[in-house]
Amino acid sequence: MIPCAVVGVGQTHHRSKRRDVSFGGLVREAVFRALDDARMTMADIDAVVLGKAPDLFEGVMKPELYLSDALGAVGKPMFRVHTAGSVGGTTGLVAASHVRAGKHRTVLAVAFEKQSEGNAQFALGSGRGASLGAGGSFAPFVRAYIHRSGAPEHIGWTVAVKDRLNALKNPYAHLKIADISIDKVRDSPMMWDPIRYLESCPSSDGACAVVITDEEGGRAAAADGRPPAWILGMSSRSEAGGFPGRDPVRPQACLQCAQDVYQEAGITNPREQIDTAELYVPFSWHEPLWLEAHHLADEGAGWQLVDKGQTELGGSFPINPSGGVLSTNPIGASGLLRFAEAANQVRGAAGEHQVDGARVALGMAYGAQSQYFSMWIVANNLQPFG
Amino acid sequence: MTTGLTTTTARTSTDIAVIGWAQAAISRRTDQTETQMLMTSITDALTPLGLTRSDVDFTCLGSCDYITGQAFSFVANLDAIGAWPPKRDSHVEMDGAWALYEAWLRLHEGDIEIAVVTGSGRTSTGDPSLIYPMEMDPYVLAPLGADLVTFAALQARAVISAGLADEKAMAEVAVRSRGKGSVEELLAGEYVREPLRRHDLPPITDGAVAMVLATGERARQLVERPAYITGFDHRTECHNPAFRRLDDSPSTRIAAREAGLGTGAPIEVAELQASFTHEELLLRHVLELGDEVAVNPSGGALRANPIMATGLARIGYAADHVFAGGTRALAHATSGPCLQQNLICVLEGRS
Amino acid sequence: MTRFVESTITFPYKRSLGPVTGAFMTALADKRILGVRNGTDVLVPPMEWDPATGAELAADLVEVGPAGTVESWTWVPEPTEQHPLDRPFAFAFIRLDGAANPLLHALDAGSPAAVSAGMRVAPRWREERIGHITDIACFVPGVRSEVDGTDVGGPGQPVELMDYTAAITYSTPVLAMADHALAATREHRLIGLRCPTCDRVYVGGDRPYCPVDALELGADAEVELPNAGTITNFIVVEPVQYPGQTVTEQFARVFVLLDGTDVVLTYQPVIDLPVGDIHVGVRVSAVWAPRDTPVDTFSGIGRPMGSLLGWTPSGESDVHDPDLVNRIY
Repeated sequence: MIPCAVVGVGQTHHRSKRRDVSFGGLVREAVFRALDDARMTMADIDAVVLGKAPDLFEGVMKPELYLSDALGAVGKPMFRVHTAGSVGGTTGLVAASHVRAGKHRTVLAVAFEKQSEGNAQFALGSGRGASLGAGGSFAPFVRAYIHRSGAPEHIGWTVAVKDRLNALKNPYAHLKIADISIDKVRDSPMMWDPIRYLESCPSSDGACAVVITDEEGGRAAAADGRPPAWILGMSSRSEAGGFPGRDPVRPQACLQCAQDVYQEAGITNPREQIDTAELYVPFSWHEPLWLEAHHLADEGAGWQLVDKGQTELGGSFPINPSGGVLSTNPIGASGLLRFAEAANQVRGAAGEHQVDGARVALGMAYGAQSQYFSMWIVANNLQPFG
Repeated sequence: MTTGLTTTTARTSTDIAVIGWAQAAISRRTDQTETQMLMTSITDALTPLGLTRSDVDFTCLGSCDYITGQAFSFVANLDAIGAWPPKRDSHVEMDGAWALYEAWLRLHEGDIEIAVVTGSGRTSTGDPSLIYPMEMDPYVLAPLGADLVTFAALQARAVISAGLADEKAMAEVAVRSRGKGSVEELLAGEYVREPLRRHDLPPITDGAVAMVLATGERARQLVERPAYITGFDHRTECHNPAFRRLDDSPSTRIAAREAGLGTGAPIEVAELQASFTHEELLLRHVLELGDEVAVNPSGGALRANPIMATGLARIGYAADHVFAGGTRALAHATSGPCLQQNLICVLEGRS
Repeated sequence: MTRFVESTITFPYKRSLGPVTGAFMTALADKRILGVRNGTDVLVPPMEWDPATGAELAADLVEVGPAGTVESWTWVPEPTEQHPLDRPFAFAFIRLDGAANPLLHALDAGSPAAVSAGMRVAPRWREERIGHITDIACFVPGVRSEVDGTDVGGPGQPVELMDYTAAITYSTPVLAMADHALAATREHRLIGLRCPTCDRVYVGGDRPYCPVDALELGADAEVELPNAGTITNFIVVEPVQYPGQTVTEQFARVFVLLDGTDVVLTYQPVIDLPVGDIHVGVRVSAVWAPRDTPVDTFSGIGRPMGSLLGWTPSGESDVHDPDLVNRIY
């Protein structure tokens, strides 16, 4: 296997409606930022991998066809991934796999969603009435988590506030709620009991792009004073949907996917050896829930990390310093944003929301009824643990 | 292993082979769901190898929501792969041939040995003439209802103008592929889109294809004659056919070169995803396939066209040639209007 | 014989055009066709990027046409509902005067005999234009553009958005097992399928598989299930409005663990149980439509399953089991 690294990251300014751009304009905004960051041009890219959530969201079928030339892929391999909400993460993994396999040297991963063109609730209901929405899927999981962990209700509000405060430090984030407060979250309407409006992710237009290259490319970037993020572990795992006994609060696919990436990266104590994580948290309660399902907190104890402020920027284990999905949610791109933000942390390139001294980071995305998981571990060094 | 031992040993680390495949429900209109078709095809691909789903290290499925008529339609298909305990898994909104590409890359990483890839679709569920415009430029082509057959007809004109085909040669492709009718009868038919007649168009087919891949040693343990993937590449072109030369297929040419065509042993069989008769003639020209190459002995996409699985089936039939003792076969898959995106897979047997 | 259900997916998408396509559409409303300079070439429609390389193009827009020459064409004897004309027409590659590449559009020529490569054509504009590719109703033979009636003009302001609606009807098979389970509900019976390998039971026949063992389950796997159970979990939805939405009021769905089984019915409608009274542990029994009344046979998530309309409190006292809430599946 060929070691590979992230050497360029770009994203759009995310908004509820990016009415100023076409599809091509939106993805290219992210692509050129990533290429500039990598000191590259489209000519340096050997293959392009595109990810996005269902084509029904925008009403463009197989958009990798329409966007081939916009992405500079003419004469190159153009690949399209779709693994539900985890797709952005899987896009990063598949792009990295192109390099690891030794088949392509430098690969561009791009993911986007232009939710304002359509309506995700409509698409989630496949065009029929009484769509339950994403919150409808996840509210029972959250209720079960709260019940079994005994977490107090303010935990959900706390995460909602923390991520929105982080977003104020992220120039690209969609939601900028300067006066966010516990009271404001608590007083927001109940959308999918027990999930309140401000505990939910927004609907965004946006794109993200990541340039991944081989060891030689990573070393060249480092020598040029542009630290790469070395990809030390990657995995995607899926599990079947509805069968008696499946636990969506602590999904086996999540636990196993985390084990896969820790093992490959040589991580034996994730809570200690990982410095920060970008986890896919579309509803605030997913933060404590995922802390537990990633072996980052003991079962039932994830909410205590939140309660003690340890997951804040500046805490002992910052989660979603970018503001996360709760602040920015172009669905198809949300996963790649997690992976990209994790990479920027270990590159020391996260700007105002940089975690001091971050050397090892986890990026994670999930999809469907907590069935699809994708993760990568990135580090500032090929051997961060000696 | 009597001869070529040195070569085999040298290649061991990167040897990846097709070791089996199966199709299910290939028909004009099935009453089976996509999940059922997949369940059958995966079982039928694994069973003869003495494998079960628990032996599979990685799965990658290919399908299309707009063909199925439901967002996230592929999620239900997890039921067919036996994703419990959870599997290393992925999905492409592309033909299964690209799912194979992803699995091929994944196996190259070296930590796993066996992968299953699939392609599946129920084309009869919707009307392709209304669905396909949705893959065209969303501003200037989709709103005109610019359909796949219209673009195929415009490409056929270009191919005919370039002297690479004529209507008679196209009818001959149809007769040979379907094994029925006569050129004279077919040419008496009405145009669907001049210069294309009904026989120049693919049928509507439902179906699923599942394929099993294994890395070198494992492949050799499981089957006598693995179909080694010795070349694999795919390339795309710009989208709008109005910006392209339609009498050529440069992306096919690049993919073929990268897959090692033009070097090594001669190609004996070529399975081309030519959904329209003129596409076969154009592809033969671009790939420089001579008369000695058997093109689409399976009948190709003109005989059965299970969308999202048609390309993967080409690779299956090419593998069959190797399983049966052949030395080298080529498979091609395509996506998009006027052969926008093309994939070439070269399969070889070893003595 | 297999039953097929039809459903139509329609959505009115709202596309933002960006600066270049926006200018192109704005000009169409003004009966002008724009291309973009790419070196010495002029590309039509104008692009934000070079289609060959992806390089950004300066938005140097120039007018082309309106007349042009047919480069290639095909005849459409039976137009679809999505096509610009409802009578037979030609789809043609038309190279507009001054352009380096052709534009695809409809050519209203009456018959294929009237069409040939090299013929000169010009646009027929719609009376009222909105900034859309179909502001050109079609092209017609000749070199003079025309308006299809009285020229009402355009919106008089830059066009930044366009509407796109596609309606696609799908015909999906209903599995025999699903129909069998639906028929059972008409007799007020709830049936399930038991996996012979792992013993798990799956309700109804929509998905007659055991996903754990990747097995299809047939008639021999059928088991009868009780009509009573306990609410394990629930959702209360504040409906978001979207085209096709059918509800406006807050509504609930519950998860029901059937008595004496391992089976949880997900997202079940509730009857005579106010949203505020729903909680974990409520005992419920099935509510059936009267025998032989017609029922909606489309069973999607959150909908009634045939004659099983939903669940209502049975009046028994609550079940207190701390593990109940975890039974989502």
